[in-house]
Amino acid sequence: MGEVIVITSGKGGVGKTTTTANIGTGLALEGKSVVLLDADIGLRNLDVVMGLENRIVYDLVDVVEKTCRLKQGLIKDKRFPNLFLMPAAQTKDKSAVTPEQMMELTKNLAEEFDYVLVDSPAGIEQGFKNAIAGASRSIVVTTPEVSAVRDADRIIGLLEANDLKNPQLLINRIKLEMVKRGDMMNIDDIVDILAIDLLGVVPDDEQIVISTNRGEPAIVDGRSLAGQAYKNIVKRILGDNLPFMSLDTDEGLIAKIARVFGFVKK
Amino acid sequence: MVKNEIVFKGTKEGLHVVLRGDLSFAEIKDMLEKKIKPSKRFFEGAKIIGFSGRNILEEEYFELKSIVEDQYGMEVIGIYNDLNINSLYDVEEKAKRYYENEEERQDVEGKGLFIRSTIRSGQFIKHSGNIVIMGDVNPGAYLEAKDSIMVMGIMRGTAHAGSAGNYDSYIAAFRLEPMQLRIGDIIARSPDGMPYKSGIPEIALVKRGMIIVEPY
Repeated sequence: MGEVIVITSGKGGVGKTTTTANIGTGLALEGKSVVLLDADIGLRNLDVVMGLENRIVYDLVDVVEKTCRLKQGLIKDKRFPNLFLMPAAQTKDKSAVTPEQMMELTKNLAEEFDYVLVDSPAGIEQGFKNAIAGASRSIVVTTPEVSAVRDADRIIGLLEANDLKNPQLLINRIKLEMVKRGDMMNIDDIVDILAIDLLGVVPDDEQIVISTNRGEPAIVDGRSLAGQAYKNIVKRILGDNLPFMSLDTDEGLIAKIARVFGFVKK
Repeated sequence: MVKNEIVFKGTKEGLHVVLRGDLSFAEIKDMLEKKIKPSKRFFEGAKIIGFSGRNILEEEYFELKSIVEDQYGMEVIGIYNDLNINSLYDVEEKAKRYYENEEERQDVEGKGLFIRSTIRSGQFIKHSGNIVIMGDVNPGAYLEAKDSIMVMGIMRGTAHAGSAGNYDSYIAAFRLEPMQLRIGDIIARSPDGMPYKSGIPEIALVKRGMIIVEPY
């Protein structure tokens, strides 16, 4: 029986879809069988980020409504044979499925795959409720902005109210230079406010824009900073107790990586 | 050994046998027997529409035909050089197959739905006749017609012509850069990699069980 992980944030545009694509691909790289489930019905994106948009024939709503079999709704990734995507419908909206149907769907998928990653839509309405319905574990994505952190706090409250204890935090798009200058919230501030376990920090990286447009997750060619950060996060999800370096901005994980790769001079 | 010398493609009407281009005729015969023999029972009674992927001569066609028909109990329903499987049906038969009733046929056959605007992501246009779009069709938009589809603009979305099984229908556009094209139950997708730019008006039709895009 596999694990169902929901990736959510409350606020839009913080990188839920990018995170889902990268973590999913990372888990597949580690040899796990993974299915990515796009719960953002009507505004699907995960297929584009994965570069699988042109392969879509059936989608999540077709599977839930049983117009096709479960297997037909799964698109095999073009790079990894153990990675699959179930795209959302584009011409429907969030009310096309119910939390009960999602629960059944994720349960069926978890029987066949090691990991089921659910990409949640922004917001706290029906789409969010659908996305968390079958999950047993959750990752909250936020960026170092007050508004995003505020929304993340609200989401954590909702997750806990829905029996998803111990959500893990992923801080995305941190800009080292700005944190150093004191112009950006630093990691400790965010963790202090949200008071949940930190899963990882992903630096702001131009490479993400390039890889998104190309439909190839940054983790595939793990040379970029963000790709490296996602690799560490994947190891932590797998239970590897990766030494979590002091998240002091000077000697934090990112700073270390940056220094190793010669991006930041100490 | 190289795989997939011979591929069977199933459609609603029957099987297409796709042969690899660089094989000699003797090799093809050999491969065909190798492929069919182990699952003879499975192929028995199957209908073959035609052979494609490599040009075969008329006598070769009849030789293949006699092999699959006499030895394996399959049936070749296409004719030699049959470009379009739709020629299998006459006009009346088609009407019966594609439209729910005579009224629907009278209502929509040869007529079209005209839309003068951009069709955007998430929009779904369905019509039982032809569809004509004066404007662009964006990625994520979906067109479905029982007859043909014409886009007077850039076609970047997904289009499904002949949705009831009419392989005679076509999809044409001033610029054909689609995500996916479907005619009947045949699906073709855009190539991976760099976005494709066509530059000239093109038309997508069914030939030998495949969707072919060509200038018009």
